[in-house]
Amino acid sequence: MSATSTAHMRNPNAREVVVTGIGLALPGVATYGDLLGPLPGEGIFDPATGLSGRELRHKDRASRLALRAAGFALHDAGLTDADATFTGVADSTAVVVSTNLGNVDSVCEATDTIARAGVMGLSPLGLPQTSSNVIAGWVAIRYRLRGPNLTVCNGVTSGLDALSWARNLIVAGRAEAAVVVGVEPANDVVTKVLGEQSTDAAVAVVLEPADAAASRGARPRATITGYARARNLAAALVSAGVTEEESVGLWLVDEAGARSGHLLAATRRIDLEAQLGPLSGALGVLQCAAAAAHLESGATGNVLATAGGPRHDATGALLLTPWPAIRPSTQERGQHP
Amino acid sequence: MTWDITGMAAVANIGTSPREIFAALCAGQESRKPLKAFDPDKYRATHAYEIDDRPESGGDIPRRATRWLTTVVRQAVADAGLDEDLSQVPVLVGTTMREQRSLELWWRAHAEVALDDLHFGTALKETFGASTTYTFANACSATLYALAMATDMIELGMADTVVVAGTDAATESGFGTLDRVQNDIPDALRPFDATHKGMLMGEGAAAVVVQRAGTGNGPVHARVRGVSMNCDAHHATAPDPDGITRAVRDAYSRAGVRAEDIDLVMLHGSGTPRNDSTESSVLRHIFQGAKTGPRMTAIKAMTGHTLGGSGLLSLVMAVLAMKEGTVPPVLGLTDPISEAAGLGLVQGFPAAGDLTIAQIDAFGFGGINAVAIVEAAR
Repeated sequence: MSATSTAHMRNPNAREVVVTGIGLALPGVATYGDLLGPLPGEGIFDPATGLSGRELRHKDRASRLALRAAGFALHDAGLTDADATFTGVADSTAVVVSTNLGNVDSVCEATDTIARAGVMGLSPLGLPQTSSNVIAGWVAIRYRLRGPNLTVCNGVTSGLDALSWARNLIVAGRAEAAVVVGVEPANDVVTKVLGEQSTDAAVAVVLEPADAAASRGARPRATITGYARARNLAAALVSAGVTEEESVGLWLVDEAGARSGHLLAATRRIDLEAQLGPLSGALGVLQCAAAAAHLESGATGNVLATAGGPRHDATGALLLTPWPAIRPSTQERGQHP
Repeated sequence: MTWDITGMAAVANIGTSPREIFAALCAGQESRKPLKAFDPDKYRATHAYEIDDRPESGGDIPRRATRWLTTVVRQAVADAGLDEDLSQVPVLVGTTMREQRSLELWWRAHAEVALDDLHFGTALKETFGASTTYTFANACSATLYALAMATDMIELGMADTVVVAGTDAATESGFGTLDRVQNDIPDALRPFDATHKGMLMGEGAAAVVVQRAGTGNGPVHARVRGVSMNCDAHHATAPDPDGITRAVRDAYSRAGVRAEDIDLVMLHGSGTPRNDSTESSVLRHIFQGAKTGPRMTAIKAMTGHTLGGSGLLSLVMAVLAMKEGTVPPVLGLTDPISEAAGLGLVQGFPAAGDLTIAQIDAFGFGGINAVAIVEAAR
């Protein structure tokens, strides 16, 4: 098996995929521009009021959070009208959700109910959330999105993985746009699983091909340029096409990256979890939103987001660069099989 | 473009290899068993299609789904003549429940389970040194979704070899909620039969090695012609004929085939009245112009609904059916529902036939559909 069999997700011949919309349902963070700090700040999203409403009735908490974030992102991308109806191409718009703990409360509470009262104590309305893909299903139903519908439950790298898979779906021609949602709910079960206080967190980004975004006049915020999931940080950076010469202006790290004395040592680092609490499956997508804030701010350099490390099964890395129009050269670097 | 299937493995209630499972399907002996996994007093359903590998002393143990997964991945890789070191090979795992059964045992019985055990990358790293691993919780279309994305990876030049696998162990929350919502509790899974009452869970895992055409070391079992994936965006748990029709037509378009080219359909056939009538009606419409329609079978009648891995298990059985020229019957099918009239459902005994192209259906909660078209390698 040659090394070229490794998954390289930086293909210079592929369509460029850009971020065209961002939405947050995240206490303590009003807009994605605030993600560059300090955090938490003056939030506008309050789960106590933000998760009610007819269309959210009978849904699990993670799905409600995700629906809010997805709604904001689609609005931000200019893909919904005044009635919050989706105006894009529904048949070829994908939904990709990253979550690790989205339905664990539903699962564990069901076992308690069965032990106490048998199956007839369960609510039939709980059926959808016994399956981990419940969130992606509700987002698709709400906006009638009939393209591929994917739920990535892949540990600490999930959010970065979800962005890469959404890009793959677009590059492979299976979707013309994708709504990528990273979401984790706050509840007692999640707190017990994590061993620390859980937080409500949902973030959604809209991805589109750069040419399609340009032709409909959308405002691109960042380009998804490189990605890898590899055995360690060094291997992930190489496979994602991040070289030592890479002009990285911001490195979005998690706990492992924050401690790393790796190259890019001089780069500004932000650990979102250190400020907001555990983000799990929401982390990578929130890192993407923070990257967009950096690139839009006029600050120099590209943005690297990493998650995972020696305490986990892999390290994920995502490289985000400015959108094509303002980039000095559209030629991508990095290897390709 | 086509993709070679060079390695296959599977485990289910009726066998520990694809050949054993296929032989059991052809023999057609009743396979349901009294519910063992959970306290039967708490449930109305009395039967399931479990893999009977729990401790003799009773009780359940964590990580059974993970153990089946690593077993089938090891066997599929060996079958393809590849090294067990998967450090350079992506592994795509489709599942409905992930390790939620382990989570339940941690919650209720204090089993030793860590957060990183919920997804399968942790075990794939420990066992095979694999890092480019993904756990897709895509309900009961998960493994065909994973197969579609594996073909994309090869087509996009991101890999030459991809392992696609699926696994699920029955969970109390899933089994229990399903029990709760079924009005008339099934005592067996009887797809497309007028006596069908609903779905009963099975357990199992399956894996295939998919390689860029012509790059494998060993014989090619079959060729993937194309895999579609979409979403109904209609209902959280009920199927939608429009979404399924689009998935079937997209699969044909990707594979470059017409309805009349299909020789065999491995039905989703979950045994719920809603699925069976919807799937039958869609296929009647699809095949109404074909001169002699394809043979059709539904393996869940014997394996139960193996959830995330069920699509891939059907695919592996389709490959063996094409190799053997034999289609196993649908166990217990004697009086097909009216919507299935005219469909070539195999009843009673295995049917012999020259089979070249197979269609595999997999539909899941959330209205997610995937359809694969596979061609015999001759």
